[in-house]
Amino acid sequence: MPNRPLVTDYLDDRKILLGRWERRGLALLGIAILVFPFVATNNWITIANLTMVAIVGSVALMILTGFTGQISLGHAAFLAIGAYTAAVLGTQWQVPFWLILPVSGLLAAAVGLAIGPFALRLEGLYLAIVTVGLIFLVNHVLLSFPDVTGGVGGIAVPIYYWFAEENNGGLTGFTESWHIAGLEITFELKLYALFVVLSLASVFGIRNLVRSNIGRAMMAVRDHDLAAAVMGVNPARTKIIAFGLSSFFAGVAGAMFAFQQQFLTVEPPFNLLMSVQYIAMIVLGGVGTVFGAVAGPVAFVVLSPIMETVGRHLPYISELNSSQQSTLLFALLVIGFMIFEPLGLYGIWLRIKRYFMAWPFSY
Amino acid sequence: MTTFIQLTTSGLALGAIYALIALGFVAIYKASKVFNFAHGDLLTLGAFLMVSLCQAGLPWLLALPCAMLGTGLVGMAVERVVLRPLLGRPVFVTIILTIFIGYLLRICIELIWGSHPYGMPTPWETTATIDVMGIKLMLNALVSLVAAGLALACYFMLMRYSRIGVAMRAAASDQEAALTLGIPVGRTLGVTWLIAGMLAALAGIFLGMFPRQVEINLAYVALAAFPAVLVGGLESALGAVIAGLALGVLQLWAQGYVNPMLGSFGHNFHTVFPYVIMILFLMVRPYGLFGEEEVKRV
Repeated sequence: MPNRPLVTDYLDDRKILLGRWERRGLALLGIAILVFPFVATNNWITIANLTMVAIVGSVALMILTGFTGQISLGHAAFLAIGAYTAAVLGTQWQVPFWLILPVSGLLAAAVGLAIGPFALRLEGLYLAIVTVGLIFLVNHVLLSFPDVTGGVGGIAVPIYYWFAEENNGGLTGFTESWHIAGLEITFELKLYALFVVLSLASVFGIRNLVRSNIGRAMMAVRDHDLAAAVMGVNPARTKIIAFGLSSFFAGVAGAMFAFQQQFLTVEPPFNLLMSVQYIAMIVLGGVGTVFGAVAGPVAFVVLSPIMETVGRHLPYISELNSSQQSTLLFALLVIGFMIFEPLGLYGIWLRIKRYFMAWPFSY
Repeated sequence: MTTFIQLTTSGLALGAIYALIALGFVAIYKASKVFNFAHGDLLTLGAFLMVSLCQAGLPWLLALPCAMLGTGLVGMAVERVVLRPLLGRPVFVTIILTIFIGYLLRICIELIWGSHPYGMPTPWETTATIDVMGIKLMLNALVSLVAAGLALACYFMLMRYSRIGVAMRAAASDQEAALTLGIPVGRTLGVTWLIAGMLAALAGIFLGMFPRQVEINLAYVALAAFPAVLVGGLESALGAVIAGLALGVLQLWAQGYVNPMLGSFGHNFHTVFPYVIMILFLMVRPYGLFGEEEVKRV
């Protein structure tokens, strides 16, 4: 009994949700999101917040690398731009957080659009390596103006509710706990609520992008840009749009990261490793799928603490520090996935689904 | 003038090391269209092996080829185990794969040697300088220049005249045609990685000498050599050498002359300077100085 209705016409193809499975899955996810803050400790809520930052960041990279096929190793640079915009706007002009998020996105998008035309001349490997250079350039600029960005010493990220006068909200406004009807709403919970909205919005955004004209153009360019051009898709325009959209989401993710961390330094975290981690996430989730942009980061962030607890009891591994342990785990995981399951978690999910749909026949 | 000559010689010495690294990238890329992001970590491995072999009591001149061979064998193993099954997959796959192989190597090196720096032993006084017409030049720099020159000459001779060199060139130009002619393409790929690993080790050994130390972050120099590879053209061994030397000299000149001009912005500017040049250069010639322009077919 097939649970996924056959796609028979164009209207079916444009549906947001296909069939019972996706609707059930989404309902479960919704319940999980609502129940999670009541059962989880503060520590796990922080992990959830980091996951959602990673989801928005992966959505951004998925647009550029997954859908448009432009390999970028400079993703960390856009996150850095977003994060530092948030920090500088907050410290210099007391800009409230709801305004900072889109402004960070737009600034990163502006940089992305400026780089787009340069990137058009380059393909594949050349683009990947030039975008490595982008990280160095952005970090160099950030470190060169210590008066504004704090330089090597780092910068604090204040979070304001409103354009603050001296004592309205202030530096600690967002970070203080609220007490409403006997419930304590901590800083982490507030961020959780904010991040749930943002990450759902961005995932919904690319789900729609995939169904749209632009999204199909992107995939055509990824699969063969010359053939796409013959079909009437403008590859240059599509690539530039992909760069702009991707860096917008990356900027928002950067601002979210800044709010979560509350204190920023340039390097780490905004280095090549961060870019590579984002690539690992979308590979782990499944390149070119919306499912992958969510599953990858979830697996990535949740597996790290698990690896730490397991790694403590293994010989040799216990001598490594926690970041090395997680790097080791993901190096092995990604290499394994690349060789055996190029579609990532999405591929595994497809196989499980197919097994149950075809039950009791095992093919 | 003294500063200029000193900057230029140490630039050439650094450039020679860049050339060795770039040549390693190009050799592998030509043979299998894989850009080996793990090259930097092979280089670190070579340097650490050399330190350990010298500590074990091997004479320096014997330890050098042993360290090179060891690193080459590791390179060969990586190719055989991980990359051979993925021949012909998209660029994307091999980029990610080699990056993560690099991280694995790095963690293995940290497990074996720890994270503290070692001094690279040399048969001569490590801080020795010699006077050439009143200008003090580091002996380390001069020796690395000579060694790199010798290694490059050997590489080009090997590719030009030896049987395996001809086979490697044939396999690089058309794998299927080479296979039909009875050339063992798989084995030539292995040899390519062996050679690339040996070049990486040589670069690492000379890079780890006196002004610097042998430590895990030595691998980052490979990132600094990317511009040389791209500007030279990914497919051209000669281009890699020329661009590598030019990169080293330019970087030192930038450090000496451009950095002070830029005020606070110039602090460490020489580290990003090659990338600025690379980006500008690729705008004009996207396939590099000696690279081949790709003709696309639908």
